Amino acid sequence: MKEFLLSFALFLHRSPKYKAAKAFAKTLLFDANNPYKRYFDLTIIFLVISSVLILIYEVKNPVPLWLDNYDIYVVSFIFAVEYLLRLWVHNDISEMLIKEYNDAKFLGREFSFYTVLKKGLLAKLKYMITPSAIVDLLAILPAYRPLRILRVFILFRVFKLLRYTKSINQFVDVLVNKKFELLTLLFLLLFIVLTSGIAIYILEADINTNIDTLFDGIYWAIVTISTVGYGDISPVTDVGRAISILIIVSGIAMISFVTSVIVSAFSERLNELKEDRIVEQMNKSKSFMIICGYGQMTKMFFRQKRKHIEHYVIMDTDVARVEAAKKDGYIAIEEDASSHKTLSRFDAKYCDITILCLTSSDVENIYITLNAKSISRNIKVIARVNDPETVDKFRYAGADELLLPNLVANTMIYTAITQPTMYKAIHAILTGKSIANIDEIHVHASHAMMGKKVENLAFTAGKLLFLGIERKGQFIFNPPKSMEIETFDVLLVMGRKISLEYFKLQHEGDIHVKK
Amino acid sequence: MLKNKIAIFGYGNHGKFIAKGLLEDGFDVTIVESEKHFFEDAQNDDFKKVFLADVTKDTELKKMDLESFAQLVCVMDDEHLNVFLTLSLRSLFKDSYILSISDSLNVTKKLQMAGANKVIDLYEVSANKIYNILDKPIATKVLEDFVNNKSGITFREMVIPQNSFLDGVMAEDIDFSSHGVLLVGMIDEELGHAFVFVTAGISHKLDSGDTIVCLGEQKELEAFEALIKKKEDRGVTI
Repeated sequence: MKEFLLSFALFLHRSPKYKAAKAFAKTLLFDANNPYKRYFDLTIIFLVISSVLILIYEVKNPVPLWLDNYDIYVVSFIFAVEYLLRLWVHNDISEMLIKEYNDAKFLGREFSFYTVLKKGLLAKLKYMITPSAIVDLLAILPAYRPLRILRVFILFRVFKLLRYTKSINQFVDVLVNKKFELLTLLFLLLFIVLTSGIAIYILEADINTNIDTLFDGIYWAIVTISTVGYGDISPVTDVGRAISILIIVSGIAMISFVTSVIVSAFSERLNELKEDRIVEQMNKSKSFMIICGYGQMTKMFFRQKRKHIEHYVIMDTDVARVEAAKKDGYIAIEEDASSHKTLSRFDAKYCDITILCLTSSDVENIYITLNAKSISRNIKVIARVNDPETVDKFRYAGADELLLPNLVANTMIYTAITQPTMYKAIHAILTGKSIANIDEIHVHASHAMMGKKVENLAFTAGKLLFLGIERKGQFIFNPPKSMEIETFDVLLVMGRKISLEYFKLQHEGDIHVKK
Repeated sequence: MLKNKIAIFGYGNHGKFIAKGLLEDGFDVTIVESEKHFFEDAQNDDFKKVFLADVTKDTELKKMDLESFAQLVCVMDDEHLNVFLTLSLRSLFKDSYILSISDSLNVTKKLQMAGANKVIDLYEVSANKIYNILDKPIATKVLEDFVNNKSGITFREMVIPQNSFLDGVMAEDIDFSSHGVLLVGMIDEELGHAFVFVTAGISHKLDSGDTIVCLGEQKELEAFEALIKKKEDRGVTI
């Protein structure tokens, strides 16, 4: 038996198919980046809703047999499969066995097969008693026909939906944070309910026709303390009424107390919850920008209105600046971009992240750059450098692009003084004014420009100025007329936006615009 | 008024860079500072005309004969002082050309109201660069090299002299690229003193006195400038 299980574990360990299947099941169940997860989730949600609807319909109407069968077998079967899958991927007993076997062989100690097996099975059992696993199990039970009472468990299927609602988790989170206060209140409540329930039972069980058992007494106490007061049971003696008064007064006090605890817990975490939502949305968008610091540079960046930036978040450690950003209508959160915890919340693996370090402190900007690069090399960092002497440090830190506002402004002033005419030209080019817009034309393999000579591309007729070609990292300025265009060339052309777009259209693929 | 006589107010972050550049290019630079240590910096950096003055006092400004300067450049580190100085200079010298630096949109507006002829925003160009990096990284890099003269290719202004072969010719009839330079734009005196990009699509007749802005390698630019200065060269096949 032992040998057989061990060799089976070895077989699984060596099977790439088994591993791939397990990995797929794992991502299907847990990883939002698996493309099939969406469909899987939607199927589960559909099954839950349909089976609950059938249950409701069944109360007053006869249900056709096929629908009943669907409910019992199809839905339950799929849920059972899901349950087993979750149990399967929870941990890996075969891997544990192999590891223990290898370790034992290496150390020359005795291979304790059953200890490991027990450990693995215990982990599975531990999973089985988590609330969500219990809900999953109960959702399968209605399939057992002989016991019609199990039909009620269909309602547990609704709880399966909780997996898909984040707000419930957040609610639970908030409550867990106030565990101490809430537990204290709960014990107090229990104490009052039990004592007054017992008291009313002792005092009135013989007189009051509505109170027969201790349960009646406790039921009455809860109905009263919660200020619901159905009135089906009410005290008839003076002492009973006196107890009622006490219970009602303490009930009101306690309810307001509980409410205030929950409300304050929420307002404490409201900002955090909002930020979580923003981060989540960013991660969903696949490509976004994190802008650090809301100072003059950031303001200027947004006021340019060159292009609508759809997905971005502004981060600043200063509350006043975050408030100012929000007031100006931007998405901003109060977070420290130089902390590892903050940036690692963003999904650098699956998203294109660009970080703009625009704070006015070089130290801060370098730190953010390093932080971002330490999380993932894929994060693109555009950093502002205030002191030109720190440029090298930014390069070492790994910044992809540098902005030197001081140096640029100085050059601009200098140009404005020495060559006023050119200042206008350079300013227009650098700020991308319509007429002086410089654009890149990327030549791909099926591009109509391929193989054409420079002189045959009618730049002048298209009111464009051809500056040159970037080829294999080298820029060829004003290339000779006989030069042929090659694949992966990037042509730099200056002109009005409409001229450029028309020119691109003319030369794109097979589209030819007749003149 | 001498064309290359420049007064720079402020020898801080920006003033230093600008003043040194201008001095190298042979400009007659005068520096005015109100801070003692900046004033000393300027003196140590071998500037001849350095004044220590309280720029908030009109009497001190009046003493300096500022009408004779071609441009008054306000690049004080303190933005409040900079705005105040711009205002004082404008009220004292109605016809002077005043250039100021601004570090925010609000200050830009104030400087314009104070009467600066040109306001350069510290962040405007850099903010635009972010968009350029995101949209067209290659073009941005190449352009930057042009502006900073890193790749050897740079811009140059040239004035067309009388009897040059360019005098009286339509701009689109000349093939500049065969001379190794590209015509970026020009200041047409006929159309009023405005800079026009060649890509604006307006036909231009070049006349003597017009300024053209070309892009090219330093050598080619010099050769081309020499060529247009040659008198009566119309016979040359272009």
